[in-house]
Amino acid sequence: MKFTIFQESRVGQRRTNQDRVAYCYSREALLMILADGMGGHLHGEVAAQIAVQFVTQSFQREAKPSLPDVVLFLSRVLSSAHHAILDYAFDKNLPDAPRTTVVACIVQDSQAYWAHAGDSRLYLFRRGGVAAQTRDHSRVQMMMDQGLLDAESAAKHPGRNRIYSCLGGSHSPQIEFSKRTPLHKGDVIAMCSDGVWGPIQTDVLSRGLSGPNLMQAVPRVMDIAEEKAGTTCDNLSLIAMHWDEDFAEDSAETVSTQTMALGSFTTQMEGFARTRPQGVPGVEELSDDEIERAIQEINSAIQKFSK
Amino acid sequence: MASQANYPLPSGFALEHYRIERQLSLGGFSIVYLAYDEDGTPVAIKEYLPNSLALRKEGEITPTIPSDSQAAFRYGMKCFFEEGRSLARLMHPNVVRVLNFFRANGTVYMVMQFERGRTMHDYIQKHKGDISERFLRGVFTRMLNGLREVHAHKLLHLDIKPSNIYLRTDGTPVLLDFGAARQTLVSDQPILKPMYTPGFASPEQLNGREGLGPWSDIYSVGASLFACLAGAAPLRADQRTRKDELIPAEKQFAGRYSRQLLQTVDWCLHLDHLKRPQSVYALQKALARRFGDDPVPASWFTDWSSRLRTFIGRQ
Repeated sequence: MKFTIFQESRVGQRRTNQDRVAYCYSREALLMILADGMGGHLHGEVAAQIAVQFVTQSFQREAKPSLPDVVLFLSRVLSSAHHAILDYAFDKNLPDAPRTTVVACIVQDSQAYWAHAGDSRLYLFRRGGVAAQTRDHSRVQMMMDQGLLDAESAAKHPGRNRIYSCLGGSHSPQIEFSKRTPLHKGDVIAMCSDGVWGPIQTDVLSRGLSGPNLMQAVPRVMDIAEEKAGTTCDNLSLIAMHWDEDFAEDSAETVSTQTMALGSFTTQMEGFARTRPQGVPGVEELSDDEIERAIQEINSAIQKFSK
Repeated sequence: MASQANYPLPSGFALEHYRIERQLSLGGFSIVYLAYDEDGTPVAIKEYLPNSLALRKEGEITPTIPSDSQAAFRYGMKCFFEEGRSLARLMHPNVVRVLNFFRANGTVYMVMQFERGRTMHDYIQKHKGDISERFLRGVFTRMLNGLREVHAHKLLHLDIKPSNIYLRTDGTPVLLDFGAARQTLVSDQPILKPMYTPGFASPEQLNGREGLGPWSDIYSVGASLFACLAGAAPLRADQRTRKDELIPAEKQFAGRYSRQLLQTVDWCLHLDHLKRPQSVYALQKALARRFGDDPVPASWFTDWSSRLRTFIGRQ
């Protein structure tokens, strides 16, 4: 796999950041996940954290290095994450289970699969246009679908934050799954919370993320959204991934998973405490199994390349 | 007690199906042995044994690893595996070949093809100040074929120096020791600081490793060329960054070598990486000129033996 990826989450004008983002990849599969904990409810950030952490950990357990069935995986882990949030609420005797939106995407064999509940979005940008996009599970989207509302008044509608599907909460989530979507070189997958897509138009997002240099593009797009939202700025989070198969044009930030160990993972996830300093990774313990696998893998490469 | 030195495995020791002959070299991270396989073919075996983390006393086989170093020891093993993974997929006559990889004695071993000859470092010592331009152009152009293959796999060598360039008895060079080679992206690992050799490492390597690229290896190639001319490594890049007192090769060795060669050396040794040759090929083209203006034989750029091998392999 070859891609460039960057994520960022900002608190905006709120007191706490209830958004959580993470990505994680093995040699053959990439997971991206974003959850927006719901502010009106207690412990929104707890729900978002549980969702992101649960899915990431399951991915690390099962993608070795690829997932046998991606759709099944998504369906199983998202509904388990929902139950994990309910369990947490039960353990802590919370009067009401915390809630979070979720959007998760897995890329494997150059094909993307995603699933979502709520109004956190995924866009697939291709050649400057929108090739695919999730449909919000929100009241206004439903009204728009029924022709009761146009996009302009939807953006101002007082109930535009009301969503009818999420993880946690008293109702089972309605999780919507994408079809299997082959990726082309240069495709960009962007996932964001409403703090990003709310204030800006889709074309600002698509133009802003069109190049491979996401390390600059993502913060720039977020600056625009933050500025537009002004003093009412919600938490905002954005993960963007530029799919890139071309060898020659790789920039230095491009990830190539070619020489990763078969069983190893690279994970980028913010800790639960927002103030935790970054860049203090622990020493990863290499297990006996991992050593055996690495050796086996090197020897099979020797066999393969010496022919 | 002075800094601990690890004892090598004893001569005659049976390691898997190899028999240890003697120690070839001892580094901070590993010991390299000459050994023979069951057919009597000589091989070089590299043993992962970082002397800051593991200790093998005289007469012992399995090294002692203090429990608080255990995690770091395993972590360093990852780098050793990375080297193995990098080399396993490189198949080039100017790059050392890996033959086998195994685990024993509480550590891991990499078996490589044994090459007869000597390092360029030894060659420089022996021929101090008396290395011909033709030799330099020929050896470096061929060595760069190997480096080109390394870069084509998106790897950087990051430790090119005369003692890592081996000259076979037939004069062809082989690139050795990929201990510092890393997939370009995997550089954000804080523990076990990357190793480099002062004088041959590029300024980027010494300054936080930002902006590493093929040009960083090219700096080291320039420094190795310089060492051939001067008989010693050039001034360290970090000192040069503070105050550049390196006298350009064009001034220092004027008259002894052609101007174009000396300019090429200075080109590689630019502190600003953007001013260096940006690819190995660009450097090869500059080196592959003879004293006049006639280009060197095209055969320097390719290796018939490797092509032949590929053809045979495909059948």
